[in-house]
Amino acid sequence: MTFEITPMETPSRPRPHLINVPAPERESGAPADQPAEQPVAKAEIKDLRFYYRDYEALKGINLALHDKRVTAFIGPSGCGKSTLLRILNRIYQLYPDQRATGQVLVDGQDILDPKQDLNLLRARIGMVFQKPTPFPMSIYDNIAFGIRLYQRLGPRELDERVEEALRRAALWDEVKDKLRESGLSLSGGQQQRLCIARAIAVKPEILLLDEPASALDPISTQRIEELISELKSDYCIAIVTHNMQQAARSSDYTAFMYLGQLIEFNTTEAIFTHPKERQTEDYITGRFG
Amino acid sequence: MRRQRLGDTLFRAVTRSFALGVLLLLGAIIASLVAGSIPAFHAFGLGFLFSTAWNPVKDAFGALPAIYGTLITSLLAMMLAVPLAFGIAIFLTELCPPLLRRPIGTLIELLAAIPSIIYGIWGLFVLAPVLQSTLQPALIDSLGAIPYFGVLFAGPPLGLGILTASIILAVMVLPFIASVSRDVFLTVPPLLRESAYAMGATTSEVIRDIIIPHSRIGIVGGVMLGLGRALGETMAVTFVIGNAHHIKASLLAPGTTISATLANEFTEAVDQIYTSSLVALGLILFVITLIVLALANYMLWRMGSREGA
Amino acid sequence: MDAMLYRRRAATNYLILSLSFAATGAGLLVLFLIMWSLLRNGIPALGFDFFTQNTPPPDRSGGLLNAIYGSLVMTAVATAVGTPVGILCGTFLAEFSRSSKLAMTVRFINDILLSAPSIVIGLFVYEVMVVPMGHFSGWAGSMALAILVVPVVVRTSENMLSLVPACLREAAFALGAPQWKVVVLVVYRAAMQGMLTGVLLAVARIAGETAPLLFTALNNQFWSSNMNGPMGNLPVVIFQFALSPYADWQRLAWGGALLITLAILSLNIIARFLANWSSFEK
Repeated sequence: MTFEITPMETPSRPRPHLINVPAPERESGAPADQPAEQPVAKAEIKDLRFYYRDYEALKGINLALHDKRVTAFIGPSGCGKSTLLRILNRIYQLYPDQRATGQVLVDGQDILDPKQDLNLLRARIGMVFQKPTPFPMSIYDNIAFGIRLYQRLGPRELDERVEEALRRAALWDEVKDKLRESGLSLSGGQQQRLCIARAIAVKPEILLLDEPASALDPISTQRIEELISELKSDYCIAIVTHNMQQAARSSDYTAFMYLGQLIEFNTTEAIFTHPKERQTEDYITGRFG
Repeated sequence: MRRQRLGDTLFRAVTRSFALGVLLLLGAIIASLVAGSIPAFHAFGLGFLFSTAWNPVKDAFGALPAIYGTLITSLLAMMLAVPLAFGIAIFLTELCPPLLRRPIGTLIELLAAIPSIIYGIWGLFVLAPVLQSTLQPALIDSLGAIPYFGVLFAGPPLGLGILTASIILAVMVLPFIASVSRDVFLTVPPLLRESAYAMGATTSEVIRDIIIPHSRIGIVGGVMLGLGRALGETMAVTFVIGNAHHIKASLLAPGTTISATLANEFTEAVDQIYTSSLVALGLILFVITLIVLALANYMLWRMGSREGA
Repeated sequence: MDAMLYRRRAATNYLILSLSFAATGAGLLVLFLIMWSLLRNGIPALGFDFFTQNTPPPDRSGGLLNAIYGSLVMTAVATAVGTPVGILCGTFLAEFSRSSKLAMTVRFINDILLSAPSIVIGLFVYEVMVVPMGHFSGWAGSMALAILVVPVVVRTSENMLSLVPACLREAAFALGAPQWKVVVLVVYRAAMQGMLTGVLLAVARIAGETAPLLFTALNNQFWSSNMNGPMGNLPVVIFQFALSPYADWQRLAWGGALLITLAILSLNIIARFLANWSSFEK
């Protein structure tokens, strides 16, 4: 796979601020077609800080997540990438010792505002976790769970939504005859696709994926990656991954984090072909990690 | 949306109120016991605790025989049960072939499930006659003949009495302590045991020097809980203790415990002082159990903090 | 190597291990003896009459129908009342307030209630229900049993709910579910088998309890389905009949004892099955 060095506006400052980067041009051999439209910032993160009690785990993050694009977060263990993701749907608020300051504007609205309704927020921003977490109910009920929370649908409509979600997650063919069986009866890879189907069934605006394939075998991992490329056309996707090759393959933008700071943020091309920061280059070339 | 908020608040409030309810329940129990005992303590004062009188006709009551019986039967039961329980736990963890571990463990636990009234009638109809004809005469003839110490084993072999009650209690408490000990023994890391064996230690040495010290905390907890159970046990004891309101030196003599007194006499107590004395006995029993539990927690806390756990 | 020392160590070892073996043998022997007595004395009592006739007057033959009925009803009511209380309290401890002062106090109090002598519970219910009502009743008996059920269910529910992995809860929250739905629709379902086992064990515990019924439900010689009066029940009947001098009564007592023991052992075995099945399904 060769990288084409294309002229584009790249920030000259070491700390990238919000940028409106023109659509990167890729080789035609890329796994997914890039939409020709200008990428729009779906979520803008401004000076985000995060604290576990008194410990500052995230030290002032600024970046933008673009709609209908995949943004990958890479970096060594403990750098704060999962922490960052978990702020975006405020799932950290289940734990009293954790707090965040700064702003996260989604479509202009700050989701860190205390007045923001958490349940509504999480209905708009979906999350898939590292370990597959099927609910102890049938496959059908797993998908329907999220839908039933906010909508009253007739049985036929519900069936359609469930089927649609399962098709989108590339799971329909494998489970269409056993929708009433327990979600736990599926294999690991299937369970994770079930969780993805469950997340997209409620039609979120942003999809957060926290190392979705790390607990899976290589074949399932590959299917998940293909899935992500397909889903990109409808969602703003943020994915945390330990696997750099995965980030290079599937994402449009990459953010490299280290010790709670955002070291570099750019298009994936730029990060992997000519990273600006020394640390980024060291990490990518495997000098530490 | 508001409905979901409401649902959360409601659910939280409901669960919280039930938790508080449990607190209130204990408070209510203590309060009602205290209230019921007041007439007795009013009439007899604190001397009630030390008096051996028990005359329903004359309305003179004292708690000492019952307290003595409760304490002595439980103590004896523990002395008998704890070594046996350890033996069973050791067998299950070190000696028993793996295939038999589950079934034998289950059988021991089923011993714990048998209700106390079954132990009572078995004790009365099966064990007591056997003891009367075999063990008790033997004890009287052998240990009873020793000067001074022999007083403990004097007297006619009645079959019923403190010793029989203690034996039954021991059997009841045994499976409980055995399963707790077994569970605790199993938490010893295999690597630790293996390194001890690798140095050439015998099984009993591994048990004595590695396993038991490692499981101290759990064992203490289990033993204390077993003691608590023995103190409160009613039906098994009622059948075999002989129900005599006195304190005799001999373990073969009949006696009484708090719970046996309550079981036998509560429904017949007609006047207020009688009833109140019985409720006072109940309060004393409850307090004894509380003390044992508090002591257990304290010991566990001390052992835990010393180890830095 | 000191041969004397080694011989001594080996002898000690042999002694201790033989004693352990003997102890286990003794325990199993007692179990066998008890079951044997029960079967030998109880089986002759079982028969058609046993299950269809009420308790007879002294020295007459009859059955234990009213006692069986009373026991079943009171156990059912006690379970129906105690289980929700226990589960909700356990939910509070596991889901809402794991380490607060209130939670620690409630746990401690629950431990006390768990070890409280059952006869004292009977005394308590006598004071607060029988005395004000002026008479013994099946309701009072059920309440006393319910008080015994609650701490068992609280402990097992809290443990089972705590075992549900945090990521399952987070996944439900991440879909926008409010907390009560996360608990009721997802966490309860995940812990269901364990909690059911706890309930079965609680039932097995109260099925044989005599002391709390002695001065609450008392006993009723005749058929009665009226919960508002003294109610027949197996344990108290066994107590009364076994200590009597009448052969017929004693026979019935053994039969009742066998029945209770078989019921409780079956419950325990079913509970064990259930516990193993759930870990099998994972």
